Amino acid sequence: MTKIFLLISEEANSQIENILKNNELMEAQGELEDILTQIHHFSPDIILVENSIKNCEFTVRQIKSIAKNQNTQIIFLIHEDIETDFLNLADGLINLPLREDILLSTINSHSKIKKSLDRLYENNKELSKSLYQLNVLYNTSSQFAGTLNTSKLYEIMIEAMEKTLSFDISSVLIFNQFSKPVLYLNTIHAPSENLIDALKIRSVLNYKTMFENSALPHNKDFDEIEIVQKTKQSRSNKIYTIDSLSYDSLFAPIKVGDDFFGVVELFRQTPYSAEDVTCFQAITHQVALPLRSAKLYEEISSTNKKLEKLEKIKSEFVSIVSHELRTPLTPINNSLEIVLSGQAGEITPEAQNFISMAKRNIQRLSGIIEDLLDLSRIQTGKLDLKYKLTDITPSLELLQKTFLQVAQEKNITINLEIKQKLPEIYADLRRIEQIFSNLVSNSLKFTPQDGTINVKAEVILSSEIDKTKLISPYIDLKGQYIKISVQDNGIGIKKEDIPKIFDKFSQIETSLNRNKGGVGLGLTITKQLIDSHLGAIWVDSEEKKGSCFNVVLPLSDDFKIFEMDLSHALIAFGDVGIIKLNYNKRIELIELLKEQKLLNLTRLSKEILFDKNERKEYWVYIPKISLSSFDAIYRTIEDFCIKISSTESDIILSKAHSEKDGIEIGKIINILNN
Amino acid sequence: MKKILIVDDEKDIVETLSFMLKAKGFECICAYDGEEGLNLAKNANPDLVILDVMMPKINGYKICRLLKFDNKYKNIPIIMITARSQDEDKLIGEETGADEYITKPFEFSDVLEKISKYLKQGETV
Repeated sequence: MTKIFLLISEEANSQIENILKNNELMEAQGELEDILTQIHHFSPDIILVENSIKNCEFTVRQIKSIAKNQNTQIIFLIHEDIETDFLNLADGLINLPLREDILLSTINSHSKIKKSLDRLYENNKELSKSLYQLNVLYNTSSQFAGTLNTSKLYEIMIEAMEKTLSFDISSVLIFNQFSKPVLYLNTIHAPSENLIDALKIRSVLNYKTMFENSALPHNKDFDEIEIVQKTKQSRSNKIYTIDSLSYDSLFAPIKVGDDFFGVVELFRQTPYSAEDVTCFQAITHQVALPLRSAKLYEEISSTNKKLEKLEKIKSEFVSIVSHELRTPLTPINNSLEIVLSGQAGEITPEAQNFISMAKRNIQRLSGIIEDLLDLSRIQTGKLDLKYKLTDITPSLELLQKTFLQVAQEKNITINLEIKQKLPEIYADLRRIEQIFSNLVSNSLKFTPQDGTINVKAEVILSSEIDKTKLISPYIDLKGQYIKISVQDNGIGIKKEDIPKIFDKFSQIETSLNRNKGGVGLGLTITKQLIDSHLGAIWVDSEEKKGSCFNVVLPLSDDFKIFEMDLSHALIAFGDVGIIKLNYNKRIELIELLKEQKLLNLTRLSKEILFDKNERKEYWVYIPKISLSSFDAIYRTIEDFCIKISSTESDIILSKAHSEKDGIEIGKIINILNN
Repeated sequence: MKKILIVDDEKDIVETLSFMLKAKGFECICAYDGEEGLNLAKNANPDLVILDVMMPKINGYKICRLLKFDNKYKNIPIIMITARSQDEDKLIGEETGADEYITKPFEFSDVLEKISKYLKQGETV
């Protein structure tokens, strides 16, 4: 049945009403304005207009303007004796006098056209809506990717749903690991108190229903739900009552895998389409992935914070304890020395013996404290190494003297064999001595009465080293090395125990049957010190026959020297970039960077930087910084360079820098170079 | 007789150290906190100062810097006594200008050897 509006003369009317009696008809009544109102309410498929009516052209134009979007077909009934030059306004024409068959077929075909147009219009509308939804989804997904802030993610999600699914009410119940659950209520008009309560209960019910047969992923106190409510048109008088719950609704959980974050429900007065459901599911699914990342990120950063704190407490504890232990040890040692010296009165040889014993043990205790402190420094990256080109031969020769007394007590012979003149290496002499004496004292501990310890030194090639024996982690060995080996004929070590002896506090035999002193920190520190010197260590050992500890330390070339400075800087500063400048430029630059608090020089870097005589080139250590503060450095260096018009410079980046940083720093270098 | 100023808040360390130094023929004056130490360093004309690092009121590094950056006092040799703790590591960020360091607990012979670098005649008195 077609809806037809008749704007025709009375003569034509009776005839047409009869022909079209099977359709829904309405006759025009009154003046133009009334007619327009009638059409608006009736929304006809076809309007029949007789060209003889008063003001025909104007009337038709008005009708067309109000019925613009409705695809209404306008058909003229034409008296040929009346001039009509506005026929182009019509969709169809019928000549008068009227022929029944022509009228019916014209009406019929235009009714079909109207229906097709309506369908087309609907499809178009759907299509543009889908396109819009897709567009929003696309934008949303890039927004999701841009943040790890949980509440921001929910905001983006709700906004996306508002744009694509134009809800009246959205109710989002969210669970947090560390805080109360939150119910986000976003509505167009204000909700009533009852509705808020109902939505709260409903979301909890929805949630519990999902897990009827299994444990709830978040078992929270639901009386404690925090409500965050936002009303779009807070000034409107309309209020959503509890009846709104009967609106069409969409519901989905927010989850990915086993990670469950919450539930979403949308309400809308007009029904949702199948496409809307797809869009809704897409959004809830999209938000779950970044939420999981955010959750993992939160977990990792909180664990990290805890670990950092613990690490700090531990190292502070060690530091304080060792300080507190040393201070009282000092007057004890001094007092014993005074008594031993005879200055406080004569003492018997027996007393002298016991006081010497006390003194020896104070030295041992203070050695242990020193080890503890070193270990704590190594772990916190604060070990202060002073590298210099050094001849290690004297420290090897000193070993025999240092351990003479202990060796004599057990009648152990310490042999020293230096096969050739040893070249200088880039090293911290004090630490090299520590490495050697740790190894020899370790051997002395495990070598029986009348044993022998052989200390050998020679220059070898890296290819002569069996890399499978090295204690890990070790660096790639290249070029020439000084090899120092300490061989004993002691109790030996089982093959599987060898890596363990470099662990903290390890001594292979358990406390009950061990008869050697020492907490076993020595080898751990030794290994760390060797690592810092870019060397390596391995152990050849046979049970009951003895062990041989082998250390290799690299002969230094410019590259090795630089590498050691760099690796030390990495330990000391974490992430760094390094600018190499010559002496004159660097002091000015450092001062400028320091002024702007962009550079923290520690004692070490300062020594390297200000050591005028020893080396020609110097390094400025710049901690890895964000690009925003990088601008400040950039400007500083820029200003500085104009002043000094530098010519020689170079830069090396640490792995911690991104490519982007590299480009930025490259720019600085170009400026420095020009 | 060469005069040595010992500054340390640990009275036992000051007492044992000054006992031995006196036995070796030095004159000793003592201070038990940073403020007193700085005051004596400036007004009592010591030939050498032995300074503890961690002390109440003014720490040893600061005293050292104050003296070394003052033309009037910069030639007085300074020996720092350090416990090599991390609290001290933090303080040492800037140059102190100290001439020697000795680590607790120290051997008296080490102290004497370091003093003798600066006060050659001390022992002969």
